[in-house]
Amino acid sequence: MTDLERLEQLKNKIFDQSNEHCFVERERFLATYPTDRINDSDYYARLFADMLDSVSTPINECDVILGRVIEGEPESRENCPNRLIFAKGHLCPDYAKLLRLGYRGILEEIRANAARLGTEKAKSYEKNAEIVIHAINRYAKRYAEAAKQCGRQKEYEALSRVPFEPAYDLYSALQSIWLVHMVASCYMGSRDYAFGYMDEYLYPFYEQEKQNGTTDETIRNLLAGFLIKPNEICGRHPHNYRQKPVLSQASKQYVLLDGGRANELSVLILEAGKINLTAQPIYTVMLDENASSAFTATVFEAMTVLTDKMQVFNASQMKRFLKDKGLPRDLCEHPTVSACCTFDIERHAIREEFYLPTVAVFCKTLFENKFDTLDGFLAAFAKGITAECQQYIDETHAPDYDFARKAFLLDSLLLEGCNEACEYAPYALKLRAKNIFLPGIATLGDSLCALDTLVFRGEVPYDTFVTALKQDFAGYDDLYERACACQKFGNDTEEDRYTVQMATLLIDAVEAATHERNEIVAPSFYSLERENVWGPELPATPDGRRAGCPFSENQSASYGADQNGITALLRSLSKLPFARTAAGGLNLTFSCDQRPEILQALVKTYFEGGGKHVGISVINRDTLLDAMKHPEKYRSLTVRLYGFSEYFISLPDWQQQAVLNRTAY
Amino acid sequence: MQGTVLNIQRFCTSDGPGIRTTVFLKGCPLTCLWCHNPESQRRKPELLYSPTECVSCGRCTSACPRGCHQQKNGQHTFDRSVCVACGACRFPLCKAIELSGKTMSAKEVFDEVVKDAAFYRNSGGGMTLSGGEPLLQADFAIELLGLAREAGIHKAIETCGYAPRKVVASIAELVDLFLFDYKESDPERHRRFTGVDNAQILENLTLLDDMKKSIVLRCPIIPDYNDRDDHFASIAALANRLSHVTEIQIEPYHDFGKTKYAKLERAYALSDVLPADREVARRYVSAIQARTDTPVRIP
Repeated sequence: MTDLERLEQLKNKIFDQSNEHCFVERERFLATYPTDRINDSDYYARLFADMLDSVSTPINECDVILGRVIEGEPESRENCPNRLIFAKGHLCPDYAKLLRLGYRGILEEIRANAARLGTEKAKSYEKNAEIVIHAINRYAKRYAEAAKQCGRQKEYEALSRVPFEPAYDLYSALQSIWLVHMVASCYMGSRDYAFGYMDEYLYPFYEQEKQNGTTDETIRNLLAGFLIKPNEICGRHPHNYRQKPVLSQASKQYVLLDGGRANELSVLILEAGKINLTAQPIYTVMLDENASSAFTATVFEAMTVLTDKMQVFNASQMKRFLKDKGLPRDLCEHPTVSACCTFDIERHAIREEFYLPTVAVFCKTLFENKFDTLDGFLAAFAKGITAECQQYIDETHAPDYDFARKAFLLDSLLLEGCNEACEYAPYALKLRAKNIFLPGIATLGDSLCALDTLVFRGEVPYDTFVTALKQDFAGYDDLYERACACQKFGNDTEEDRYTVQMATLLIDAVEAATHERNEIVAPSFYSLERENVWGPELPATPDGRRAGCPFSENQSASYGADQNGITALLRSLSKLPFARTAAGGLNLTFSCDQRPEILQALVKTYFEGGGKHVGISVINRDTLLDAMKHPEKYRSLTVRLYGFSEYFISLPDWQQQAVLNRTAY
Repeated sequence: MQGTVLNIQRFCTSDGPGIRTTVFLKGCPLTCLWCHNPESQRRKPELLYSPTECVSCGRCTSACPRGCHQQKNGQHTFDRSVCVACGACRFPLCKAIELSGKTMSAKEVFDEVVKDAAFYRNSGGGMTLSGGEPLLQADFAIELLGLAREAGIHKAIETCGYAPRKVVASIAELVDLFLFDYKESDPERHRRFTGVDNAQILENLTLLDDMKKSIVLRCPIIPDYNDRDDHFASIAALANRLSHVTEIQIEPYHDFGKTKYAKLERAYALSDVLPADREVARRYVSAIQARTDTPVRIP
């Protein structure tokens, strides 16, 4: 079998997987595992070890990297997936350390630290780390034996050593990462583990391969064999819809590439992605203003092929943001995003997120008060936002120690600070990546414009306007039409100032709340699905949005509001204070393929003007409509949603419609 | 200087190199049978009216100062003969009435064009004048081109080439790239298809070539009209004869503009013509490319 034939088979297997199946060995094991000693300090470590000792080590002939999980029908839908044990995920593990030291080296560090600290807690941490690490080692060795039985000598040698020992070549490095990633995602159980800057920590292994005479084509195919694996563990349906009964359901697994320090491996990773063309992982390029013109051209050429499976960040702006937040220099140089293109701090933090009910607070402020001036309204609105943010902060407590013992058992081993303090995350973490999301920015800006135009500077009485909103404009046709006719954000007009004003107010209001010292607070304009989930609960808004309808998505203009073309939209967006935010969220939809030099010019100009992030989709409306009628013909068709790629036919109706509603350029 | 502008379209990538803003001017000396922008032919602003979109709300009737709109037995009627396209009948959410053409100063137009200067700089793009026929508003076009030149913006013009020689010569000084339509090589057919013969057009094309202007030949190919081998041969021969044709662009027929004719209460002459599929369009390209070294493509 050639490399490409293997990759094709691997891809077909992913589409043949049933989205109804669970990781059946895990579920059976946990369903009957005794819980009478659940309060023992080593209970979860032993559970994990016993589970890992019990599961199979399946190998398919086409596997390039070994490690897959047996699937089957759940015996009971109730309590499936079982949460007796789970990981937390939502982090970027220190894979560079794993490759450098192996778990053996990590365990030696923990032993030394436990001896130094001498506390009961430290000894308990050490004991659990031993149990967990040796369990992984036994599992890897069983996999090695299975590989030997199949005549897979290279795989046998690698798994006999990694991940307990340091990696020694590119294959063993990829194998080490995958085994840990898979065990954490599927057996412990969680989602959204990011791979971090693979082109950086794998580069020494790449150099070694080249010295040994390995061709770029062979390396590329090996990378493709690794990069296809994330698709095997997450199902094919989006978050909250027809979920595969596994804890890694809809896991968004990001690969970061650094444009400022790009190397040959950066290019090969993109080439490998172009072979697979699967929804995972998301290739995220941190495009620095110092990126070479050759690499920049490669990025946009890749984007024309990868489209929705790739995105680009303004790395220079992000580095300045991190510096302003006081992050240590080495971390400032490595801006990290993981899942949903949200802010993360590699190796150091667990990504947290909170969606502020911005549109609800806007409506509440408007309805429950009466204002004579726009400034009066804005002051009250800002206060409401700060109060909402403060309430979230006050209600969010550090999880109890038992939760930490259960959830962070495995994760802590590859997070900075935990092994040093012999303390589970999040207790030991010195930094917290706190994403505060501000959905509906365009709806809010447009509503502010309408409010000012019609009420505060216009002749419509405040009470009349509020009554019209509460009645969803019923009986107020003329007012509705005037509200709709008010200028909308996204057309590069003078009225964009309202959205800018709203954006600045929201960021100021979030930062005005009292945050803890170790928190890196990152407000961002990101909605995930909130525009469709919260929209039905909300009344009409001053911009002419009807009650119950979605509000604006992510950073985009309201559906259909951007009438002046994509350059006008980007100029509008670049007026927003992105330098004070961290997450991405701009998805541009094109109705036809774009030349790489056009994409490059669009993004370059946008970033120069202050933009933060771009992801693209190329959508043929007729294709999508046909896919809705004949999904069986379009099983691999992907579209971009929020910060990642999804299979179009797997989306619920409302989300398919949302994709169709987007402005396409 | 005031001009009648049809549209200012940002992010155009097919009207010259890079990212461009295309300014469509109203009015054209030709009346091509396949024209997909019939609202561009008349110089003055005019109304497009869609009876199927009309909900008979009656607001246009109340607003119209000239009685163009009437309500009779619950039905809306529109008398185009007395309409001066003042726009009083337009309401934001009304889908039945569109106004085509707006009077603008050159500065107003250019203020919009210059907004994307950074995109032009990063893509090698610029401003394209199109229409209609921009040479029909020569003075206005010259002023716009002058503003673009002062701002260092690349300037292209899309033209059918039917204009007095001296107009072409004076505009040519300001233009970096000509997108020159070549619709039909046989003079008699040219008159039947477009309303004029092609002698002046060919003379102007030769003038531009003599002036060493960069030229892209744009050739609409219409099934049953000019999709003939002799016309393909003429296109190639023309490119071979001239020294500054950099590319031949084939524009296969499409019927996207068909519905606009009804909105203008005009008949569409090509209602029975089907657009050529991709395979046929590729054959057009091959037939011409076989006869010339000038690159031939479908943009």
